[in-house]
Amino acid sequence: MKNIAVILLFFALSCPFSTRAQDISQLTAQCAANAGEVMYLKDFIVKLDAGTPGGAPPTARFALLLSKSVVYRLSICTAPNSEGEAVLQLFDMNTLLGSTFITATGKEFPFFDFKCQKTGVYHVFISFKEGKAGEGVGVLSYVKKL
Amino acid sequence: MIKKLLYVLLTALVITSCKSGGDRSTQTDFEVPDSIMSEGMEISEETMQNIVQNISSPVEMAALIKELGVPYSSKYLSSTARVEELSTTFKQSLNLGIFGADLGYLNMYNKTSAVIDYISAIKTLADEIKVGQFFDFTTLKRLATNNQNLDSLMYISVHSFNQMDKYLHSNNRSNLSALIVTGVWIEGLYLGTQVAKETTNDMLAERIGEQKLTLNELILILEVYKKDKQYAKLIDDLQLIKDQYQNVNIKTIKGEPEMIEENGVLTIIQNDKSMVEISPEQINKIISTTEEVRNRLISL
Repeated sequence: MKNIAVILLFFALSCPFSTRAQDISQLTAQCAANAGEVMYLKDFIVKLDAGTPGGAPPTARFALLLSKSVVYRLSICTAPNSEGEAVLQLFDMNTLLGSTFITATGKEFPFFDFKCQKTGVYHVFISFKEGKAGEGVGVLSYVKKL
Repeated sequence: MIKKLLYVLLTALVITSCKSGGDRSTQTDFEVPDSIMSEGMEISEETMQNIVQNISSPVEMAALIKELGVPYSSKYLSSTARVEELSTTFKQSLNLGIFGADLGYLNMYNKTSAVIDYISAIKTLADEIKVGQFFDFTTLKRLATNNQNLDSLMYISVHSFNQMDKYLHSNNRSNLSALIVTGVWIEGLYLGTQVAKETTNDMLAERIGEQKLTLNELILILEVYKKDKQYAKLIDDLQLIKDQYQNVNIKTIKGEPEMIEENGVLTIIQNDKSMVEISPEQINKIISTTEEVRNRLISL
């Protein structure tokens, strides 16, 4: 119910802005609400063009500081007009920690939880499957302390 | 005809000038665009944004304090009474961050009556630095007054801050964003250290110790603008805190991450572990220096 209230409120609040900004604001609010009973911290908005055939998919990268003994939730939402499906990955240096899309099984998740044990700088990567063009929002939320 | 027109124009000019003089004066002694940076400190906008994204959220320290079962106390908060006296963009931006952290603390404890004061102060300061459009004061006030939709109140507050930060970056005003972030951080550390003064808790001590990482990042950002005297002074103040962190050690033990799926929810368990080595004496010094610096900043 609270989540619906957040979405409705944002529909109302977004009125003065442009259509695109409004759509993104709504998508962000919706994505934050879909994350469940957690506390929104940050969002990562991406709009990527299609990649070249055979090349690496275009990727947006965001650095963020996460704290030890906190459970974070990382969610991903794809804008309705996108050609591709957005995928969010969390990296610690060059190590992939988690992803909303598990390549080996083909399983997709709207979010994943990260039990952080090390305070430091991490990177969120957002791309679109098969390097397709698309627009999406990643959301970082605070779940609880460990 | 031309004479009449000239009179009209002149009168309009005088009226406009008088009106400007009558408004609360905002000294523009700190309209330093990003183009004016310290020599030899060329950091791209992308790098700047990446650094700033690193700084933790205004509500994380407050969330930890609440989860530790520490009761609410208004004595930790910066007073909004002086908001009208903050006459430069430097002071306005810094205090905007400080009030932002306080708002996070108030929201965390559902202190909606006090929230209105802080939203009002934030809106005033945001308007002064021309980012007031991101704070829908009417809606925020209504949510706080009705004492309902507290999730929405928290979401809109934090989201408004994020929007404002993105806007400042995209409009070549990262210098103001750096000040806001500094304000948020110093007030968050102040809240944490004030609680640590009265409550001994290992997790809180560790969180205070970890701020060494954030402080280094903050100083790196601010040094870009150190040509400005106010920035240089702020760096000197932060350096005082940094000095107290000199012998705080942060170590990491390596481990492989695990992935589990329970009830459809994917969870990543990190097995790398960071550990902070911080003594009670070091904490006490950080507490007193943070108090001194933060109190100086809010009385600028």
